[in-house]
Amino acid sequence: MRRILAQARKELIQITRDKLALTLALVLPIALLMLLGSSISLSVTELPLVVQDLDNSAASRSLLEAFRNSLTFHVVAWPVNKPPMEAFTANEARAALIIDRGFGRALARGGDAQAQILIDASDSNTAKLIQGYSSQIVNAWNSTAGGAQRLLPVKALIRLWYNPGRVTKKFYGPGIFVLGLSMFPPLLAALAMSREGEQQTLLQVYVSSIPAHQFLLGKILAFMVIGFAEWVIMLGLLFTYFGLSFAGDPTPFFVASILYFFCVATYGTMIGAAIPSQAAAIQAVALGGFLLVFLLSGLIFPVENIPPGLRWISNFVWGRYYMEIVRDALLEGGGWAAMWFNVLVIGIIGGVFFLLSWRRMRRMQLSI
Amino acid sequence: MTPAEPPSGIGNGAVAIRVAGLQKNYAGVKAVRGIDFEVRKGEIFGLIGPDGAGKTTTFQILAGVMEATAGTATIFNMAAREARQETGYLTQTFSLYPDLTVAENIRYVGDLRLIPRAEIELRGNRYLTMFDMDRFTDRLAGRLSGGMKQKLALACALVAQPQVLLLDEPTTGVDPVSRREFWDTLAHLAIDGLTILVATPYLDEAERCHRVALMHEGTIHQTGTPSELRGSLGAKRLEVHTAALSEAEDVLSGHHDGILDVQRFGDRLDVIVREPVEGQRQVKLLLGAANIAIDSVRVDEPALENTFVATLRAIGREVKSPRYPGLHPHRDIMGQIAIGATNLTRHFGAFTAVQDVSVEVKYGEIYGLLGANGAGKTTTIKMLCGLIEPSTGRMELAGESGSLRSREVRQKLGYMSQKFSLYDDLTISENLNFFGGVYGLSSDEIETKKRWVLEFAGLEGKETALTGSLPGGWKQRVAFGASIMHEPSVLFLDEPTSGVDPLARRAFWRMINQLADMGTAILVTTHYLEEAEQCNRLGFMVAGSIVAEGTPGGVKRAQTGHLIETITTEPQRAADILRTDGERWRISLFGDRIHNVTDGDAETSMRETRATLAAAGIGVLEAREIPWSLEDVFIAVVEKAKREERLAAK
Repeated sequence: MRRILAQARKELIQITRDKLALTLALVLPIALLMLLGSSISLSVTELPLVVQDLDNSAASRSLLEAFRNSLTFHVVAWPVNKPPMEAFTANEARAALIIDRGFGRALARGGDAQAQILIDASDSNTAKLIQGYSSQIVNAWNSTAGGAQRLLPVKALIRLWYNPGRVTKKFYGPGIFVLGLSMFPPLLAALAMSREGEQQTLLQVYVSSIPAHQFLLGKILAFMVIGFAEWVIMLGLLFTYFGLSFAGDPTPFFVASILYFFCVATYGTMIGAAIPSQAAAIQAVALGGFLLVFLLSGLIFPVENIPPGLRWISNFVWGRYYMEIVRDALLEGGGWAAMWFNVLVIGIIGGVFFLLSWRRMRRMQLSI
Repeated sequence: MTPAEPPSGIGNGAVAIRVAGLQKNYAGVKAVRGIDFEVRKGEIFGLIGPDGAGKTTTFQILAGVMEATAGTATIFNMAAREARQETGYLTQTFSLYPDLTVAENIRYVGDLRLIPRAEIELRGNRYLTMFDMDRFTDRLAGRLSGGMKQKLALACALVAQPQVLLLDEPTTGVDPVSRREFWDTLAHLAIDGLTILVATPYLDEAERCHRVALMHEGTIHQTGTPSELRGSLGAKRLEVHTAALSEAEDVLSGHHDGILDVQRFGDRLDVIVREPVEGQRQVKLLLGAANIAIDSVRVDEPALENTFVATLRAIGREVKSPRYPGLHPHRDIMGQIAIGATNLTRHFGAFTAVQDVSVEVKYGEIYGLLGANGAGKTTTIKMLCGLIEPSTGRMELAGESGSLRSREVRQKLGYMSQKFSLYDDLTISENLNFFGGVYGLSSDEIETKKRWVLEFAGLEGKETALTGSLPGGWKQRVAFGASIMHEPSVLFLDEPTSGVDPLARRAFWRMINQLADMGTAILVTTHYLEEAEQCNRLGFMVAGSIVAEGTPGGVKRAQTGHLIETITTEPQRAADILRTDGERWRISLFGDRIHNVTDGDAETSMRETRATLAAAGIGVLEAREIPWSLEDVFIAVVEKAKREERLAAK
């Protein structure tokens, strides 16, 4: 135990000495969370919509009001004499609503009143969403103001759960939180480990006859502490700036977090032990810590949307399991019943990483 | 004079280290090819050999961090790996954590070895005090000078109170003053019963071991005390002083019976002859026939290096030094001033790094700049080659005094240092093409020079090998070749031969001499004073100023004091007694011999020494005055300058 603590203590001293590493450890996660958490947006809100109301009747104004009140659209004024297509080419609008003359009269007669919606489909995803939202709005309007005389056999009632205002930062915040934890602690751990190889200080450790598991645990412990510090800082940010709070029983989240610190610190140590070159170790950690977690853990794309050829990889991405736990704890509140499996998997992956690094180091001598 | 093994008072028969039939193969390379040696308790045993001899591999096996392919390595009859608690290991890089403080480094090592906290503190303080480093406990290891890093690494190794100390080239990059202190410490530790195995490529350090083994390409060729090895050559060394060194070297190097070897130094030739009287006669005859005047001839014992070179020659190793294909010699400007510095001073903030330094190097001259770490050598060189501006003073370089960084001036300069290296990921040929191209050589000339570099480096036919795959010594030779491809008229060499074996070092110096004979001005820095003997003139820097200057012989003659060598029955205790009168540097222990620098009369001093030691019950076997070595001169000059500085400060 004493050797483990001595090792951990030494690592922590080294990190506090290295101002750059310390910044990397504590400031970058905040920057990452603030930047990515509030800038990534794949949902559609505030889409600019130009409107040409050629009818200008009470009915047409009411329909316009329905669009104006939606979260999705943001109405942009557009002169009646200018073709709405110009708004698309000038990039001022993604859609246009044109209400023809006689709209109000036709409605009053109980006949087919027509309004035209033009959608800029250069971004097909957004176009599809606009299509959906606008028909939703029109349907809703039909059933209230305009459609009093009609009977609609089926009425779709859509309610948004968990994130009713569809505030994207509430969804991405926890994701970026996981990304931060998956990146910085292993990066520092890998650097510290590969530096020992590069500067040959490892020889001194070998000569001291400290067993491999104690040496590794000491290192891992230090970077778990770093992980914990980042966890506290970022969680604080989630609770304040992102306006999140625990949705239910947070204990699975706490247990999983400790296991996750172990998992990522061990991952970095393993990489550093395998690659005794700091520059190459950074690349390897960036690949595992950043790329896999960023792309294959459901942070941006739901795992189900990943092509099946690649989807199986995500089963091995540790960040994916933690991501689900964090989102559950902050958004859904499923508790142990929903999350016990994920907690277990994180523990297993961490254990595998530890075994691999121990295998690599167990002889505690030069491998050639 | 020196008793045969075990040397006086050393070793009570207990074998501390035993290596038998040790072999180690790396991917296809036989690094160690079956070596045997034994080191007794309390002995300092030197493993002497060039880069790639297999020294580091042997150390790593003995330290228990590497497995042998065959054979055994035991420490006190335990397998090396099981004996790790008894072993202290200093790696070449010292294995310190630069971002931990001195105290933290010691504590970490102690914790790893499970030494009680209080003990770590106690022992740490004891060694730091012993090494005069107790003021620096809170300094980061990365901010220490080379000498202090070395001492800290030693303290870290000693905290575990090992029985055996393994030191792998511990003095690389350490200045002569710190080096001497370090060896004095080792001598002290050995007397206390510590067994020390030390590796070094430098033969002057080998003189300070009780016994040495000459190792080359994985094989040990000779083992014995330094004097046994010197004696085994069965030859004498003649120091021939003459003005026409180059011509005399050519005359004597032709094959003559009785002349075994000729080596050129800065102001003399060393001629190794079988028999001194007959040899002197022959040298005088040969030089007389060639009309070369001899100033003086002195007979001395051969150096250890002569033995090593003879051993390597005996196994068929010879390093070629092909004639440099100089297409644009600078003979017409020979004797004019190439580097002319007048009263250079350089401040960094409030700190004065260089104070009033004047250096003059003529074309065709080899000038050596020597100094301890922090003496201002690096700053001086940077000013001399125009990399930084002096705060005050005048600089003239290659006939230019205005803009020293102009293209014309740079084209005339050559620069090579340990740090200036080749691109590891290019082949040798690509590297040479690149450097030739950078200096604008024609492709014909690049071809000519390339052939020469390959021949000089002994790498003919291997030009497509990746530079990174070469061992250090070879790379060094290619780097040297690359730096002179454009035939600079002024050449700066910063520790050019560190880590190069003695034969290759000779080839280097033969080449440097050739360049000088062609009219090139050469400025060399080195920590190794045996190498400084090769320079025509030397400047000693202390605390930012040049305090002594002259030819190697000149600076030795300029010493007012005398150097006394004493052989006693109890070397260490005798040294301790003699050292009590204040100035520690005057006494130094070389194996079983004590060197004593005295300012007074030699006879009086010897009488006093005998009396002092007799009072303590120590017998003096022999005492005599010996000629100054450059190292002794250096230490004396530095210490005297420091003393004067202290006096001036009061």
